[in-house]
Amino acid sequence: MTADTKEENITEDEAALYDRQIRLWGLDAQRRLRAASVLLVGLRGLGAEVAKNIVLSGIKSLTLLDPTVADEEDSMSQFLIPRSEVGKNRAEASLERTQLLNPMVKVTADTSNIDDKDDAFIKSFDVVCATGCGTTTLKRLDRVCQEGAVKFYAGDVFGFYGFMFADLGTHEYAEEVKKPKHAEKNVSSEEEGEPSPKKAKVEEPETTTVKKSMKFPVLEDALGAKFDSSSSEGKKKLRQIPNTFFITKVLLEFLEQQKRRPASSSLEGDKKQLSNLRKQTLDTSGVSDNKMPEDFTEYCFGQLSPVCAVVGGILGQEIIKAVSQKDAPHNNFFFYSGTDDGGFVTSIGS
Amino acid sequence: MAATLKGVLQGSLADNVKNSKILVVGAGGIGCEVLKDLVLTGFKTIEVIDLDTIDVSNLNRQFLFRKEHVKKSKSQVARESVLKFNPDVDIKAYHDSVMSPDYDVNFFKQFTLVLNALDNRAARNHVNRMCLAADIPLVESGTAGYLGQVTVIKKGLTECYECQPKPPQKTFPGCTIRNTPSEPIHCVVWAKHLFNQLFGEDDPDQDVSPDTEDPELTAEAGQSALQSEAKTDEIGGIERKSTRVWAMNTGYDPEKLFNKLFRDDIKYLLSMETLWKKRRPPQPLNMTQLPSDTDGNSSAIRDQRQWSVKECANVFSDCLGQLKKELATQGDGGMLVWDKDDETALDFVASVANIRAHIFGIAMKTRFDIKSMAGNIIPAIATTNAIIAGLIIMEAIKILSGKIKSCKTVYLNRVPNDRNRLLVPCTLDPPNPKCYVCAPKPEVTVVVNCTRFKVGALQDKVLKSYLGMVAPDVEIDDGKGTIIISSEEGETEENNDKFLSDFGIRNGTRLKCDDFLQVYSLVVTIAHVEKLEEEKEFEVVGDLSELQPQEEQQQAANGSKPHNGGDKADEKEEEDDLMLIEEEEFEEEQQRMEEETRTTRKRKASSETEPTTKRSKTAEAQAAAGDNDVIEIS
Ligand SMILES: [Zn+2]
Repeated sequence: MTADTKEENITEDEAALYDRQIRLWGLDAQRRLRAASVLLVGLRGLGAEVAKNIVLSGIKSLTLLDPTVADEEDSMSQFLIPRSEVGKNRAEASLERTQLLNPMVKVTADTSNIDDKDDAFIKSFDVVCATGCGTTTLKRLDRVCQEGAVKFYAGDVFGFYGFMFADLGTHEYAEEVKKPKHAEKNVSSEEEGEPSPKKAKVEEPETTTVKKSMKFPVLEDALGAKFDSSSSEGKKKLRQIPNTFFITKVLLEFLEQQKRRPASSSLEGDKKQLSNLRKQTLDTSGVSDNKMPEDFTEYCFGQLSPVCAVVGGILGQEIIKAVSQKDAPHNNFFFYSGTDDGGFVTSIGS
Repeated sequence: MAATLKGVLQGSLADNVKNSKILVVGAGGIGCEVLKDLVLTGFKTIEVIDLDTIDVSNLNRQFLFRKEHVKKSKSQVARESVLKFNPDVDIKAYHDSVMSPDYDVNFFKQFTLVLNALDNRAARNHVNRMCLAADIPLVESGTAGYLGQVTVIKKGLTECYECQPKPPQKTFPGCTIRNTPSEPIHCVVWAKHLFNQLFGEDDPDQDVSPDTEDPELTAEAGQSALQSEAKTDEIGGIERKSTRVWAMNTGYDPEKLFNKLFRDDIKYLLSMETLWKKRRPPQPLNMTQLPSDTDGNSSAIRDQRQWSVKECANVFSDCLGQLKKELATQGDGGMLVWDKDDETALDFVASVANIRAHIFGIAMKTRFDIKSMAGNIIPAIATTNAIIAGLIIMEAIKILSGKIKSCKTVYLNRVPNDRNRLLVPCTLDPPNPKCYVCAPKPEVTVVVNCTRFKVGALQDKVLKSYLGMVAPDVEIDDGKGTIIISSEEGETEENNDKFLSDFGIRNGTRLKCDDFLQVYSLVVTIAHVEKLEEEKEFEVVGDLSELQPQEEQQQAANGSKPHNGGDKADEKEEEDDLMLIEEEEFEEEQQRMEEETRTTRKRKASSETEPTTKRSKTAEAQAAAGDNDVIEIS
């Protein structure tokens, strides 16, 4: 534990509130959490899940940033915005309920567009998590975050599908590893021939904490990854990539081109557009037709609440992990598909 | 409006969601998240039941609750909170136990689906049986720390919750607790036993005095110890009177109690010399000469600071005074029930466990750590609950799409397995034809000594605790229909203290056991033996023995699948508190189990060749996940 965080001891109130998680990740991790300031871009369903999870965990501050206004679709997953607030700014409309989740966290709302924010603003946070953004925005955020040694996350949910991306630069963390069991000072009861029930093993296995480091690829490289399905090496690599990666690419491309998400109000047209993008994406990525089911357009509208919960749960936990610098982070994508229960961690672009 | 918006849910699914009626059992960590997802996804008719009230330690994850809700009903506050997310939902909340007779098979039949968000095996067993009886699909779930799982149970199609045997009760041999503790948990268990001996329910299995029947002692050694005991003064040695009576007679005098428990009894243990030939002998303590140095842990929080032995002795004294007063308020014959959330009760156990640990040269622990051990607290976090709740809804959606056959058991891992899967779906297994719950004619064999086993124990320990019945009726299948246990109050209580043999029950006798509420009938065949191994009172075998779980599978997290070890409901002390609370209260679990779980899963996940479970036998399973994807929370 570093000196600066050591001084800030957890209070009795905090210990009572965070008891069950301190029992999981320890006091040091909790101390680091409460020193962390996080910027959350995008307050749709996934953003709401992430906000809930990290505010509950007890970070120092959260800035909710979104220039858009709530619409009908928010009612299927955005539980931080009251229904009466349709038409109001998403960040502002989410503020009150987010704050109520945990009075100890400083929560603020910002109605700006992230593209209008200067680099210094972005670099002032410990963590930036961007949801609902197009690829140009995401790539810039990633670049600025790396310059400023800010932990960067991106994520989105499209209907039954969702993803998380992480670029933590060079990330240092502590990991507990098992020590080989030594003979104990006391003669163990097994040697005595005393009944030694297997279940009665109590002392936690002896562990030792080791410092590790991990390097992450940047988003530009991750999204630009090419696959050579002609070589056996390339085929093998491609097999590791879940279909949801390519579905994600199609949807991010849709966002980028249309400056909006696929919408119920333009269902048929958007499906056609997505089918076209599917072909293009497969071609430019150099992968065969079976890497993306044609019927994905049936499952990618709106943000399904349980899918937001799954992806927002993973994303929230990864942010907690990064901030507390405890345990190996997922490097660098998580993909979820509610059509087949698949949830993969895949490294792309390294 | 919710997800029933055009284009989000396909075909008739949107209508099926809208028209379904869902029962959520449990409004804790998973339950809160499930309710949120349900109302947002467009479910219109929901009922939720939970017995529990809100505690401050719930608030880090049960996000429907806030500080001002502490001590209020979980189900009712949860209902009010999610109605704000979507006012157009019809939600009914019950502040009650799902095991109450009010919720009979007809109650269950009104639902399209039942979603379990429970934390304990007793309630899971019961809901399993109710859903089988009502033939309603059940989505079962569980979390422990970073781990979790979801599965689907449908009568005749899948395994039920009880198709695979549960891991045996986690217990420590009495002689380890009483004579030769070697780990902190042994001292914690002893301290809890002492609490009960002094203030709680008298349980002969929880004796705290030195055990002269320790199998390590040869007959002679035990005998010579007994003789030497006769020479010691009336306080030392084995107390022949009950500890309670003796302590009361001293007026719970701290010094007398201290010196008996931590000096004289220890000296007596030392006289059993065989025990200490290869062990570090314990060192008796005198209350007036105690070490007061600590390890320099200067954490500001009392819970996190390691107390010195002297501090422990002071806490011990204070607690005795307070607990004595509390006991007095209970009136004659009253008793206290140990509760990890009762500050004095926890202080008592923390101080006693540490004094004993010091005596035996075992690492002392902070009050925080002792609370985990003594309360069997499973750490719980918001993110795991959110993920598992999401997965529950996804399985529910599949069932409502008419695709129950493509439902899976899904495990949430801490690290991806070697196929990069963080979420691991596994094909559901068909029912176990020999299951003592869901087989067409369930049967089971119970091994006991009929001349020493009482009817009351058959009812409480075998039928209720082990076999999960709520209100059993038992009839001897002897042609005369002798009823030895009746669920009607007052009808058979006088039988409880009689031995099975008093009713002519012997080797091969068949007992017809019924639970009217669970619509469950079980034939129990008695196998008589003189003595069971390891001081066991009874054993349930027969068809079950063929299905003994592998060792790894016994290392359980609080999973929902029986063969993955599930929770360990039968271990915990506070069964009554446990009906409907959620994952934080896995009283029956130990925090360290999560560690073990993680290890097991890692090992399994990293093994390319190891045939993990019987699951891998079906081609479908392999196609779905590959057999090395099959990871048990176990
Ligand atoms: Zn069964």
